[in-house]
Amino acid sequence: MLRFLRSAGFRFALLFAGIFIGAAALFALVLWYATAGSLDRQTDASVRTDALGLIERWREAGPGAVAEAIADRLASDVEGTAIYLLLDSNGVRLAGNLDRWPAEASPDAPWSFGTVQREGNLIDARLHVLELGERYRLLVGRDVGEKQALRTLLAEGIAWAAVAASFVALVGAAVLRRAVEQRLRPAALTAQAIAAGDLSRRVPVSHRADEFDRLGESMNDMLDRIDRLMAGVRGVSDSIAHDLRTPIARARAKLEEALDGQAAPEALRAAMEQGIADLDHITRVFGALLRIAEAEAGARRAAFAPLDLVPLLAEVAEFYGAVAESGGQAIAIELPARLDVVGDRDLLAQAVGNLLDNALKFTPPGGRVRIAARAPARDRIDLVVEDTGPGLPAADRARAGERFFRADASRGTPGSGLGLSLVRAVAHLHGGDLLLEDAAPGAAQPGLRATIRLGIA
Amino acid sequence: MVRRMGRLQILALVLIAPAFAMGTEPVAQITTDSRDYCRELALRLASMPGATSEPARSLAEDGLRLCENGHPRSGVARLRRAIRAAQPEH
Repeated sequence: MLRFLRSAGFRFALLFAGIFIGAAALFALVLWYATAGSLDRQTDASVRTDALGLIERWREAGPGAVAEAIADRLASDVEGTAIYLLLDSNGVRLAGNLDRWPAEASPDAPWSFGTVQREGNLIDARLHVLELGERYRLLVGRDVGEKQALRTLLAEGIAWAAVAASFVALVGAAVLRRAVEQRLRPAALTAQAIAAGDLSRRVPVSHRADEFDRLGESMNDMLDRIDRLMAGVRGVSDSIAHDLRTPIARARAKLEEALDGQAAPEALRAAMEQGIADLDHITRVFGALLRIAEAEAGARRAAFAPLDLVPLLAEVAEFYGAVAESGGQAIAIELPARLDVVGDRDLLAQAVGNLLDNALKFTPPGGRVRIAARAPARDRIDLVVEDTGPGLPAADRARAGERFFRADASRGTPGSGLGLSLVRAVAHLHGGDLLLEDAAPGAAQPGLRATIRLGIA
Repeated sequence: MVRRMGRLQILALVLIAPAFAMGTEPVAQITTDSRDYCRELALRLASMPGATSEPARSLAEDGLRLCENGHPRSGVARLRRAIRAAQPEH
């Protein structure tokens, strides 16, 4: 029961019922004011006019004229609703159709409702008391019994209408609650199925393009994204297991070989060095994974500081210059005088270093690697590293930022498949992205142009 | 002792009686639904110049008959209509 009361459908239904009943009450109020209220106002206006006429007679000719006017008015009162009573200073009745002064009528409250007797029945009357002067008192009133009966009828009608309106409000509320529940049911069932482990389920969309469809589409988008992320996590786990199994197995074999005790000291040393190298490789992979995770989580943003990119890029280019020379490659540098940015110096250096490392790895001897930087807009800086190597097919470029992804052509080269993942994570950390494209589109060796696009933080 | 109780009872009666009297104050009564008023209206109509012309005459006769037959309110209403009809402007 409590669950039912707390449901959104019930609250919507309650809101609907409240608004409906409120509107019905307002309608009844207006109706009452326009009918019963109008009758009251008409009665008061008639009594006021009557009284003003008698006051005029009093001023013109005194009590005798007022008594005569009252007799005339009573004689021609075809509706039979008029009530008059004129008393002199001693309280003696001079004219009118009441045998005594009503208890409810008092000069202190000139307008009042009272009860008078007519042919043995008590009837309601509207009474107006006037002090004429010389302690003469005049009472002008109307029998409002019939109007009261009409008011009662109207009140009964409104009461029945209120009952009908309440019934309609409750039925409408129940229908509304059911409609909301029915529309939310597919989403709820899908959520339950997903909670039970079936991640393939999606919310059926009715194509009415309403709020519920938009909610369903958003849920489906969210589920697709979760699916992709889970697939990514699964892929990373598989890759870690696959890529680290070989060096660990090799290190273990070398160590077992060393334990054998029969190998020559040189062979023992070589086995231990190989084991250490394998373990270093594993450490580097984990280090790279941790750095990517840090960059993606934004944890390094606290270390952001203003810096000039030009000397940093020159330093990295110089570092890799020696590698290029040994491979018979050339590094061309195109840098402006100054490029100010707020960011993490170490991560940016490593990202550019990774790009240069990749470029040199895939550029054949005699090839050229170009490193350039520019600010094409006020809030944008592009760091470009391009080579004259074989480039990357479009399908591989789309996956190049994934952890442990290695294109088929690169299987024979050393590397862990984490370099571009870190570059992309660093670009995202700095409010930018990593763009990969052909350096010379259409050429036999199109090369690869990698652009780190930074937003200036 | 008995005489003293008798005096107290009388005193209480004297004090309480007005309160009872106030609570049972009679309701004002409309006096125009009566045979006397029928006659008063008939006299008033008779003094009017148009009393013998129709429809005043017939209405007056109906009114008086109703009053005589114990329906003074209806009779008064007919006589009032007769007076209206007999008035010069009508």
